[in-house]
Amino acid sequence: MAAKQGWWAKLRSPSVKFSLLTLLGGGFIAGILFWGGFNTGMEATNTLPFCISCHEMRNTVYQEYKQTIHYSNRTGVRAECSDCHVPQDWTHKMIRKIQASKELYGKVMGTIDTVEKFEAKRLTLARREWARMKASDSRECRNCHTFEGMDVEKQKSRAAKQHENAKNDNMTCIDCHKGIAHKKPEGMTEEEAGG
Amino acid sequence: MNKTSIAASVLGLALAGIAGGAMAAPDWSKAQARKVTVFHPGASGLEWIMKGTEHGGARGLSRGETCIGCHEDEKTQKIDIDTDKILKGVKLEPKPLANHAGSIPVSVQAANDGTNLYLRFSWKEPKGGAEKMDKDNPVKLAVMLEDSKVMVKDSKGKDVKIGVAAGCWGTCHTDARTMPGADDKKTKYVKGGTLANGQYYDLMQWKSGKGAKPVDGHVADKRVMEGGKALVSAEGKKDGDTWTVTLTRKLTGGEGDIALVSGKTYNMGFAIHNDHSAGRFHLVSFGYSLGIDAKADITAAKQ
Repeated sequence: MAAKQGWWAKLRSPSVKFSLLTLLGGGFIAGILFWGGFNTGMEATNTLPFCISCHEMRNTVYQEYKQTIHYSNRTGVRAECSDCHVPQDWTHKMIRKIQASKELYGKVMGTIDTVEKFEAKRLTLARREWARMKASDSRECRNCHTFEGMDVEKQKSRAAKQHENAKNDNMTCIDCHKGIAHKKPEGMTEEEAGG
Repeated sequence: MNKTSIAASVLGLALAGIAGGAMAAPDWSKAQARKVTVFHPGASGLEWIMKGTEHGGARGLSRGETCIGCHEDEKTQKIDIDTDKILKGVKLEPKPLANHAGSIPVSVQAANDGTNLYLRFSWKEPKGGAEKMDKDNPVKLAVMLEDSKVMVKDSKGKDVKIGVAAGCWGTCHTDARTMPGADDKKTKYVKGGTLANGQYYDLMQWKSGKGAKPVDGHVADKRVMEGGKALVSAEGKKDGDTWTVTLTRKLTGGEGDIALVSGKTYNMGFAIHNDHSAGRFHLVSFGYSLGIDAKADITAAKQ
């Protein structure tokens, strides 16, 4: 009890050993190191190698994504997992990261640790992500794509018409663009197809 | 020069005789040509085009959009369809075709003389060599007309005027003959269609085979390859590598013949069975509007 009081009292009492400058300077440097380390660590979890370091992603959705235009295209601009699945701004990114920590539990429990288990859960997982994208008005898509930036003259006629209709109806990207980077799940409804 | 010519039925000629001088062929140099590209559609029946999980355009169809509204460039009239992928069996085609054209641009002209409608189709024969499904007829051309009455339900149960939106697709079902796993005896049909309720397509076909008679029928609850009284003649010839097929049809016929009235617009689609193909292995057009003295995709102006 006395030791506890001692610790608490020590923390609360002013320093007699260090100057205010040392304390402020030390705190500043420690803050930078902590903040830098924290962000670097978080950014590391935003990379493609990190995402596919688990076979749950590597053997399923990653293989499908590799066949799409978001992976390989004429200009060499690549949208990686986090570009679509993790918000860019700090607040939303933090919220998403905290939510994603639940995936660690799934990893330990082996919820989708085989291709078969993944397929059985594909529709549920996809629906979760569609709902997130819909709720944010396809924010991650719009980090790169905007209606304003589209030159409809350069689009195929069917794309130009669909985008014109979508704009008039206040639709959002994910209303139509489901299954563009991964296989469309079996069992999705006409409503989900935007029909 | 390889020339084949097929005359119409005796009845047709007799009726044409009654029509008298009206049978004179129109001056085709005065009829504007519309480029229409026919293409291999694979197994994309009506059920497929209306299904949003398969066809993104289902949403457009529900809104009353036409196929060409999305799939044809307004200025160049080029179509936007992955026919090559379909032919190779990458999608929509469980039976890939080798040595077969994926699409053919066709020049379409129309005219009328107050008694008859004249339709003229002209195209360059592409290289062939695929399986000879129809040994008797190297080439066939069929036309379907519709009077904006055929309906289908979209996924929400809303009525869609499919004749207007998609031409012949209103008759093309995934459970009809030659479709994968379908009943071999089931022909084209209009769901709930009868001659009485007007939900039918008028059907005409020219065949290139020796002695082959043209078809004048209709498609309602099933396909009927006879009974029409409107077709006067169906003639086709090949000059060099260019086919020209001309159909002469009375504006009004009998049962199963859509009565065509000056000033009105109808829906038209056509298909070419090239390279001895049969069944669903035809090259098809999207739906186009046909105006009788009325502005449309294809206008049959009076001469």
